[in-house]
Amino acid sequence: MTELPDPRGPSYRLPSPPPPDPTGWHELRRRALGTLWPPRSVAWAGLLALAVSASGLYGLWFQATLPGRLPSETDWKAAAGVIAREARPGDAVVLAPSWSERAREILPERIPARPEIPLPILALPSLGPEEDLRGIRRVWLLSLPGAPGGSGPAAVQLTARAGTVEGPMRLGQLELTRFDLKVPFLPLWTLPDRLASASVEAGGATVAAETREVRFLPRNCVVARWPGPGLEPVVIRLKSIPLGVGLTGRAALVGDSTGGGSATVRVQVDGIEVARAEATPGRPDGEPLSFDASRLRPGVHQLSVEIVPSGPLPRGVCVDLVALP
Amino acid sequence: MTPGRLIALGWAVAVLAVAAATSPAVGISRDESVYVEAAASYARFWPEALRDPGRVLATADRRYAPNHEHPGFTKGLFALTRTVLSDYLGLTGEVQGSRAGAWLLAAFLAALLALWGCELAGPLGGALAPAFFFLVPRNFWHVHPAVLDLPVTSLMLATTYAFWRSTSASRGRLSTAGWAFASGLLLGAALGTKHNAWFLPPLLFSAWLLGSFRGRQQSHGPASEGAVGTVRGHRFPWALVAMAVLGPVVLVATWPWLWHHTLPRIQGWLGYHLHHENYPWMYLGRLLREPPFPVAYPFVVTALTVPAAILVAMIGGLLQSGARIVAAWRGRGPAVSIPTEWLLLLSALFPMALIAWPTVPHFGGVKHWLPAMPFLALLAARALVTTGRLLWPARAGAVTGALAFLALAPAAWQVAHAHPFGTAAWNELAGGAPGAATMGMQRQFWGDSTVAVLPAVNAHAAPGARVWFQETTALAARQYQRDGRLRRDLAVAAGPEDADLSIWQYHQEFRDREFRTWTEFRTARPVAGAHLDEVPLVQVYARPGAWR
Repeated sequence: MTELPDPRGPSYRLPSPPPPDPTGWHELRRRALGTLWPPRSVAWAGLLALAVSASGLYGLWFQATLPGRLPSETDWKAAAGVIAREARPGDAVVLAPSWSERAREILPERIPARPEIPLPILALPSLGPEEDLRGIRRVWLLSLPGAPGGSGPAAVQLTARAGTVEGPMRLGQLELTRFDLKVPFLPLWTLPDRLASASVEAGGATVAAETREVRFLPRNCVVARWPGPGLEPVVIRLKSIPLGVGLTGRAALVGDSTGGGSATVRVQVDGIEVARAEATPGRPDGEPLSFDASRLRPGVHQLSVEIVPSGPLPRGVCVDLVALP
Repeated sequence: MTPGRLIALGWAVAVLAVAAATSPAVGISRDESVYVEAAASYARFWPEALRDPGRVLATADRRYAPNHEHPGFTKGLFALTRTVLSDYLGLTGEVQGSRAGAWLLAAFLAALLALWGCELAGPLGGALAPAFFFLVPRNFWHVHPAVLDLPVTSLMLATTYAFWRSTSASRGRLSTAGWAFASGLLLGAALGTKHNAWFLPPLLFSAWLLGSFRGRQQSHGPASEGAVGTVRGHRFPWALVAMAVLGPVVLVATWPWLWHHTLPRIQGWLGYHLHHENYPWMYLGRLLREPPFPVAYPFVVTALTVPAAILVAMIGGLLQSGARIVAAWRGRGPAVSIPTEWLLLLSALFPMALIAWPTVPHFGGVKHWLPAMPFLALLAARALVTTGRLLWPARAGAVTGALAFLALAPAAWQVAHAHPFGTAAWNELAGGAPGAATMGMQRQFWGDSTVAVLPAVNAHAAPGARVWFQETTALAARQYQRDGRLRRDLAVAAGPEDADLSIWQYHQEFRDREFRTWTEFRTARPVAGAHLDEVPLVQVYARPGAWR
């Protein structure tokens, strides 16, 4: 069969002449691409050699510089000296990053000028609004600026909460900055502090003011524990107590609560329930308790906190309640 | 002696010497304290059984009852070295005497790596492969304790090596049948060490099966030798037959607990591990408690614990192995043994893939995929040797040597720096221990760091003080006392309520123990501590008056 000629002419084109390349750039590019792609074994070997060399040099640099980025014994002692000299009631130390708890071995545990008053040392991963920093007027931020991974968000968060910032003072590889809080949270009272003067119906439970773990962090609270089969509710009664503008607090299970029982916490003022929270394994940081007391008549009231377990709770329930001024 | 054997011998002696020299600094871990006690009991079995052969089964039941959730072979070796070095010769205490068994198996691992490295990449490969294994800080730590993870790694490597030799042309002095027999015996020893060896025969079978697919490769390489039967033109290896027969025989022979009620006891043993408890474990700020666990876990932890340059070389080795298979399939690698590549590749990846499975318990740092590490080391060594040959053929040794120095020098530094806190070692990508603490990774495990505060406790504890050791077991405390490392007047307390001292070992999941101590002792100020790069590992709290 004879094909008819294409009326539009032949369907092929002659190869176009190479573009003018007076600088030789196109030729160089062609050759470079031809060398690199498809990659040859030697190119892969070069890449591996480069990666091993770079990571090895980085490793050497890291090992060589790490000790110099971390505080020495002298640095710690210098920081402890400054804090011991300057600290006053209402102060606390915040560690950044929060794992730098070696500070607990070195810093004073009490205000040296007033040994009856503790100097709290806080190792918290965050100082956001959820941390009320109760009873604290001034914060000493002790940070490790050179530590791998950084010193965390504490400085920024404290700056947002502070009226005055003094520092940072450099002490070797430590930095010490003082933050005077704009609005210190100074409660009228806290439940753990008032427990000694409260009347407690415990049944088979034990009730005590303790520092215990709630979601990996230390919390001062009233802990009710039911180690045995008796599961009678615990009732804590505080007579003739001022409530201020309100109550705030939290109820949570202590420690690793997986698979354990739960508890209900009820707060009553003058016999009327005003707040309730469930402490359950599903909420390791607990449930808040809150009551607006601004509409109550001024003066003192009867307050009771009832804790009702649903099953054995050998580790206990941590109940925290404070009155807002 | 061939250069390969010389290198292997040199490495074995070096590992043995370094392990013996550095071991006393390493504390007694939780599991180790149990194995040392079990080994002491097993050591009494043989004399008693020989004295009264008629009551051998009753003796086995009594002496092998301790820790019968793990088999008898390696703990039997611990018993043997302890009996010789500690009881007869008096050269060591009971713990170091038991550990000598683990050091021997570490030396065996080093020698095997050197031999196999030589065969894969020449003498330089043989010299480098053990270094790529032992200069990983966590691997180095595992050389010391009398536990089962490094021994089973060693015996699994040995079994795989014997399998490889039985199916390859380079059989050396032993015949195919000889290597097959050896692989059966070695598998038995591995099964007699830890249950993860059960995964080895299916893995070897898979490697052999995959090796039968050769694409366009014309020649049938060495893997077709030493075989029985034919599958798709690829002959079935004798070694697997030997393993099926000899493995269980050696397991039972070296574990007198199984000498009667054999099947129910094997069932109980495997059942225990199939339903193993999920210990809580920190990973990227999350406490892993229940499945499903993150699939990336073993890969992320490996990437953050193996020194970066070694990690890069290992990844290069994995890619090289994969590329060799692809090249051979395409008919471009006539000399490549595809079964060998599959064997190395699967052995390097399977242990991690197994732990990545979301329902498999995730705890214990890298120890559960430690059997992958020797193969990654072999691949890394071969990759660097190949790199040297490709980049500058005339000076290949010098190039490889320079690269090896850059890869191994920072790793050696890390090993020396982290020792004896191997379970707390993190690499430069993690930012070391401080970076890992910031990321919320598990800070340590097994309670061995307590050893670092024992001198302070011995110096300052009030006479007769009661000590709450927490993650360090009461067995370990008594072993420290018998080895003269802890004062004998100190007693073990069960909790902060009846303790004068509390040795808190930082575990996020047990944080409440520390806060209970604060409440009980009315202080949050430790009296002593041990740290790695300022990260607290252990802190000692004392009741007022108990620290002098």
